[in-house]
Parts: sequence; C-alpha cells; structure tokens
Amino acid sequence: MMTRRLSRAKAAWFVAAALVGGVALMTNGIAGQSGLPSTANGEWPYYTADARGTRYSPLDQITAANFNTLEVAWRFKTDNLGSRPEFKLEGTPLMVGGTLYATAGTRRAVIALDAKSGELRWVHTYPEGTRGANAPRQLSGRGLSYWTDGKGDNRILYVTPGYRLIALNAKTGQPIQTFGTHGVVDLKVGVVFGTEQPIDLETGEIGLHSTPTIVRDVVLIGSSMKEGMTVTTHNNTKGLARAFDVRTGKVLWTFNTIPRPGEVGNDTWLNNSWAINGNTGVWSQITADEELGLVYLPVESPTSDYYGGKRPGSNLFGESLVCVDLKTGKRKWHFQLVHHPIWDHDVSSAPILLDVTIDGRLRKVVALPSKQSFLYVFDRVTGEPIWPINETPVPPGDVPGEWYAPTQPIPSKPAAYGRPGLRIPEEVIDYTPEMRAQALENLKHYKWWPGNKFLYSGTLYNPPIVGDVKGLLGAVNLGNASGGTNWPGGGADPQTGIVYAQANLASFATESVAPPPAGFSDIPYQAGVVGAPFRLREAAGAGTYADVPRRREAPAPRAQPAAGAEQPLQNFSTVDGLSIVKPPYGVLAAIDLKRGDLLFQVPHGDTPDVVRNHPKLKGLTIPKTGQGGSVGLVVTKTLVILGDPQITTTAERGRGSMLRAYDKVTGKEVGAVLMPAPQSGSPMTYMVDGKQYVVVAVSGGNYSGEYIAFGLPDAPAAPRSLSSQQQ
Amino acid sequence: MNSRALSVVAMVSTVMAIARATEGQEGRTVADPPARPRTVWSGVFTTGQADRGGAVYARNCANCHGGGLEGADMSPALAGAAFMANWNDLTLGDLFERIRISMPADRPGTLSRQEQADVIAYVLRANQFPVGTTELPTETPALRALKFLTVQP
Repeated sequence: MMTRRLSRAKAAWFVAAALVGGVALMTNGIAGQSGLPSTANGEWPYYTADARGTRYSPLDQITAANFNTLEVAWRFKTDNLGSRPEFKLEGTPLMVGGTLYATAGTRRAVIALDAKSGELRWVHTYPEGTRGANAPRQLSGRGLSYWTDGKGDNRILYVTPGYRLIALNAKTGQPIQTFGTHGVVDLKVGVVFGTEQPIDLETGEIGLHSTPTIVRDVVLIGSSMKEGMTVTTHNNTKGLARAFDVRTGKVLWTFNTIPRPGEVGNDTWLNNSWAINGNTGVWSQITADEELGLVYLPVESPTSDYYGGKRPGSNLFGESLVCVDLKTGKRKWHFQLVHHPIWDHDVSSAPILLDVTIDGRLRKVVALPSKQSFLYVFDRVTGEPIWPINETPVPPGDVPGEWYAPTQPIPSKPAAYGRPGLRIPEEVIDYTPEMRAQALENLKHYKWWPGNKFLYSGTLYNPPIVGDVKGLLGAVNLGNASGGTNWPGGGADPQTGIVYAQANLASFATESVAPPPAGFSDIPYQAGVVGAPFRLREAAGAGTYADVPRRREAPAPRAQPAAGAEQPLQNFSTVDGLSIVKPPYGVLAAIDLKRGDLLFQVPHGDTPDVVRNHPKLKGLTIPKTGQGGSVGLVVTKTLVILGDPQITTTAERGRGSMLRAYDKVTGKEVGAVLMPAPQSGSPMTYMVDGKQYVVVAVSGGNYSGEYIAFGLPDAPAAPRSLSSQQQ
Repeated sequence: MNSRALSVVAMVSTVMAIARATEGQEGRTVADPPARPRTVWSGVFTTGQADRGGAVYARNCANCHGGGLEGADMSPALAGAAFMANWNDLTLGDLFERIRISMPADRPGTLSRQEQADVIAYVLRANQFPVGTTELPTETPALRALKFLTVQP
C-alpha cells in the first residue's frame, strides 16, 4: 500500500487514477495520519469540528499578524452538481486525512476533493426523481459525516433531499453494500402522522438539511418539514430523532418529539391534540457527549408556526432542548425554552458542550445560542440551569381559538448577547430626530406594549394578532423567526469556556395571522393579514431540486384575491428605506461562561450601502453598523473567523463581502480578506502538509455556490494593503 | 450639468459625449474620458413596460417575493436596501440571466425574454429608478450594457 515514502509525483498519479476508478483506496494514506481523526491533528472531522458543537480548531498558523495576507488557495464551483446552479450553498466541508468532503449543488451531490489543491477525487450523486422534487428541504444541505473503525473502514454518511441515509466508502465514493440496502437506508420508513399512520414514501413530507452526528458507532438523525407559516394541515408528519448502527444501518432507537400516550409530556397536549398535530422536528445540528453517552436534541416548533389553536397546552417537546441516552434514546431531561410556541423561535443552534469552572466548581455544561439571543446554559448531566431561568409574564393574545402560556422562561444570566426584543423608543432608528419621529409614527401600525409591564416593550413573546389592513398589521417581535442566532449556530473555546455567536439584531418582524383562502387548510389562521393577498410561504430553494421538471406550460393559477378587494400590504418597517431598528444591525458576541458575563459584543459586517450612501445621512459620522443576517464562525487558537452576511460596495475595495478575523479575547477586528459574495455556509479550518486553510461557502445575489479555500502565501510575503486583495 | 441636459442624456446616448465634454471644461479630468455606461438612472424602461411587468410579477413572482416586493422569510426582497446592495455595480444583464436560469424557482425557463425584461422594468420602477421613453431590451448583451448603480452617478 501507499506509504509516506511515495514521491509526490507518484502520489499525484495515484490521485489522478482514483478518478478513473479502481485504486482510490490508497489516497487516504497521503497524509499519513494514524488513529482517529481529530482537530488535534489539523483535521475537521465533524460539521461542528467535534461532536460537542464547538467549531473549535487549535490551529494557529493563521494569526492576527498575517490574516490580511491570505490568498485564495483553490476554489470549487458547484454549478454542475445538479441540473441547475445553486445560489444558496450552505455547507461546511469536513477534512480528514488530506481529503475534503462536502455536499454541493442542487442534487446534493457528495464531493471528495484534494484538500491541498481542491482537485476533484470523486463525486457521488443519488437521483431521486419526484421524491427529490417533493422534498421539503432541498438544495445542497449543510454537509455530511465521517466515520472510521480505525482499521481502514472509513465512511461518509449523509442524508439526501428525499430523506435517505447513504453510507459511502470514503476512499472511493462507492456505496457500502453491507449498510442498509446496498448502502441506502430509507429514512421515511417508520415516519408517521396522526396516530401512527405511515407517511407516503414518495410524497410524505420530511427531510433534513443538517448532517448526521456520529458517536460511538451510532448515527444520529433528526427531521425537518416544510416551512410552517402557511400549511395545509395541522395533522402533519410527526417529528422524530433516530439512531442507526453505523455498520449496518439498522435503527437502534426512536425518540418521539411529540410524546405518545404514556410518555412524559403527552399531557401537555390538551384534548389529545398530540394525535392530530405534527412537525416538532429536529432540524438543527444534534450534538453528543461521547464520554457520558448523552445526546442533545434541539427540537423545533409544532404545527403551525404562528397559530397553535389546534394544540392547546405547552406542547412538549416543541422548542425544547432534550437530553437522551445515546444507547437507548430514553429521555434524561428536557427544558422547554418556549411554552406553546407561536413565534417560530425553534431551537435553532447546535447545543455546545463545555467543561467550565464556575464558582469554583468544574461544571459539565451545555450552552445553547438562540434566535432570542439568550444563551441558555444547563448542567448537561442533570438539566439544572447553571443560573436561574425565571418564568416571567408575557403579553396576552386574543386570536380566536388560540391557547396562550401566561409566562415564558427568561434566563437571568448571561445577559442577552443580541436583542431579544425591541426597546421602544430606545432602540428605534435615531440617525436624525425626524427619522426617530417617523419610526414612532410607523410603529402605530403595529401592536406592542408601551411602558414597563412587559420586557422589551412587550416585543419579546408578543403573540401574533389577527392583522387587518384597516387596523393593526401585526405584533412587533425582534428575536424570533430570523433574529438572533439561526441555523449556523455558535462556537466556543473549550479551554477558556468562552462561547462565540453572531446575532442578527435587526430582524424586525410583525407577526400576524388571518384566515387562509377557503379550502386551503384545516387550520383557521395562517400567517397573513386580513385584506391583503394570501401568500404561501415556502422554504428557500423549494422547487429547485435538480429533478424538478423544467416545465414549459403556463403556471397553474394560485389562490387569487377577490377582485379589487385586496391591495399589496403597506410596509411600515422601514424609514426612508432604512431599518426601523437602530444599529448595530448585527454583532459578534463572546460570552464567558466562567462568570456568565458578556465578554464583548462588536458590530459584524460593513455598514450597508443604503446607510453609507443615504442622501439624508450625508455629513453624519456613523460608526460601523454591522449587518443583519445569520452567519456561522470558526474559533481557532487566537481568532474567531466569520464572513459578512451581506454584499457591499465600497470605493476602497469594490463589490464584495469580507471574511473577517477577530481577536478572540478582545473582539478587535484584526484582519479581513475580500470574498466575491456573502458567506452562505459556516467556515472551517484544517492543516495539510504544514499549511493551514480556511474554507468557506459563498453564494447569493448573482453569485452561484462556491467553496473557497484561503491560505497563506507559500513564499514569505510582505503584508499587503486591503485593496490589493481583490479577486 | 442641468436637469434638461440630464434628460437629454437619458434619451440620446450620442449626446453623452457632448455632455461629458462640457463637464470636462468645468474642470474635471478631460484626458480621454472613459465612455460613461448607461445606467438604471438613464431612464431605461417605460411606464407601459413596467405595467406589463407588474402583471407578470403578480402571476409568477409575488407568491414568494411578496405583493410589495418585500420578500419573505426565505425569499429575498426585490425592493429596498438588500436588493440594491445585491445588484449594485452589476448590470441588468446579470439580473436578467439570474432570473432566466433560476426563476420562477419551481419552473425556471417558463417566462419569455419579453416577460422577464418587463418584470425587471417593474422591479426598477418599484425601486424608484426613473422612467424613460424606450423599453428595456430583451437580449442579454444589450442588457449587459446597462449598469445597475445604487447611487446616481
């Protein structure tokens, strides 16, 4: 077999041959690593770096001193992995043994690339036809998982858009014939709706964007449904989390996120409503403590996102963090972040597992970033909150048939790292007094709660109203659907116990429901406004799977408003084209778990064009505002690295988005390089043959998906100015 | 340059050279000025075209991007700050090609070139770019000659 003595030229020949087929089994030996893959030897073996969700790598070749000299080492365009290009590439690759693995393209192909050159080693695709076209979660997904027995059986596992779990030989890309049926496990088998009715394998609604999590030879898989704002039935597919044997694909256990009769939590679905409701999936990344044998499930909202009248009760385990036993799937503890969820908070982020000394005691904690911008911190063995989380009164609601929880749990510590709600008027736009005045005028079109009766002017857990174009248009919220930290999650330094997360502070949302068009749904209220046209809300990329037919016929007419009765909804959420919310629009925050304190909170992202170029702001000195949006990060020995979520155009560097490095102790920005498009997938880092790389997925606007690898120049180079780094 | 001169420039590109020469005499760089590209500020679509585009938009785009082009949780807004930033410094040809190859998301390729150009006219008007007296072209090279600039040059 190949050894480290093999010359480079010969190695290159073998790699080339691997593409033609047959001898690829040798490529893994190039890096010459032994033992299990680990960030400790420069690899990135999990979507979140490790099974603990830290996104941490101890690499330190790329530093504050040289970040500005980073250059593109290689790039991989994903356009042809599928029948059409993708404009929303969200993946984070893995790197093990000198090979980079990723999902990409509108067919969610799996690619293996040479980690030094980006050269394609193999590609795997699994055409799914109409099953793929029907998938609720399409496009390339977030990534995949690696497993090895340490003796040469090395596997890549991923979930297809059509919800199949596939195991591939990591060296060849060929399916593992002894896994499932010729390498494939049909994840739709065993998925139910109602009272255990199986879903249809072709059209049944379930999928997954996140990656499997593999620990101790156990493959953990979550579930995801369509966007839940406008849905046709409350009796949707029931969410679940399952474990599979990594060798055989056999199911080991199932955890019902909607508890069945006799299971803990079933009584939180009043009137037996567990039987007629669904969703409550586990769409964000699952993490696990391999030593303790504990799994942490981030569970999302039940049906539907903004109306829960068909599910009275607090609805466990909706919007809960659930800890289950790795071997049995039995619930150990749970904590519900939002009772009776009706705001689309989900549990958006991978739980982060850390061992931290707090008040003189070494604590095993799980820390959970959130759309609310609270970091929820628990003892991960017992589920006890590290600092008190207090049930606090929240605003009441009056939508007919809705059930309301009178209180919600609010962490006393750490302080929010973003904006859970909008303090009115303190956090309303104030570039000029006129803008502030206009904003307060605009806010009269929406429901909020002046005074101190409720937190954040009553805009945290402010229940949706029946919006009406002739009255109030919605209930103001800030830290819900797209606020705070979304699916990219956060990261942490396991040595220091500091958690890092980017947060969107400007996601001004006005939640409202209205009766949908006749015959659309068995749910009487859906996201919408009375008197405005009904709009079906679909997930990004819905209908863009590679096998969706390129139909040429005219589209079927959608539900049309009654003639002349409806007008497009007026938008009062901006003032002179600017966000009604005052900057910062987005931040990078660091939370020190040793003390439960916010260590820093700095604006992240260049000031948007609309602010810099605004005629009414000419002459004003405006500090960097940061950007709204949601981006993930990587933590290294000394840096936190993340890209801008938006595109901007400046005189100095032209059009683009910056990939930035922050000093992870002070929060000071210490370097930045230009990317051609916003960061759309979280970055990762690795080292091969003594060179550190940072890989990031970019896409959006006119720019189709691309993985870009940055590295330091191979020859020593003098630091360059920003403007010289344009690509 | 006065406003009358501006509108002339908008309509007749050959006049642009003269306008530039005047500009140069006023003290700006005169040495071989680069040809100033036509932009979305030059009045590159008509009211009639934008109206037609509005009808196409309502049938094919509004469901995801919103009746007021405001976007939704998962679909980008087609009016306002984020949209302007996304396309700033590109061309209408880039925007046209993005639509042509990928939109409507669930059935790309179903709109004719004329319908696509009309939708772009509708979107430009919604973003308050000036209306002109000639329609947007439907061929990509001609659209590539029209620059999308957030700030009036």
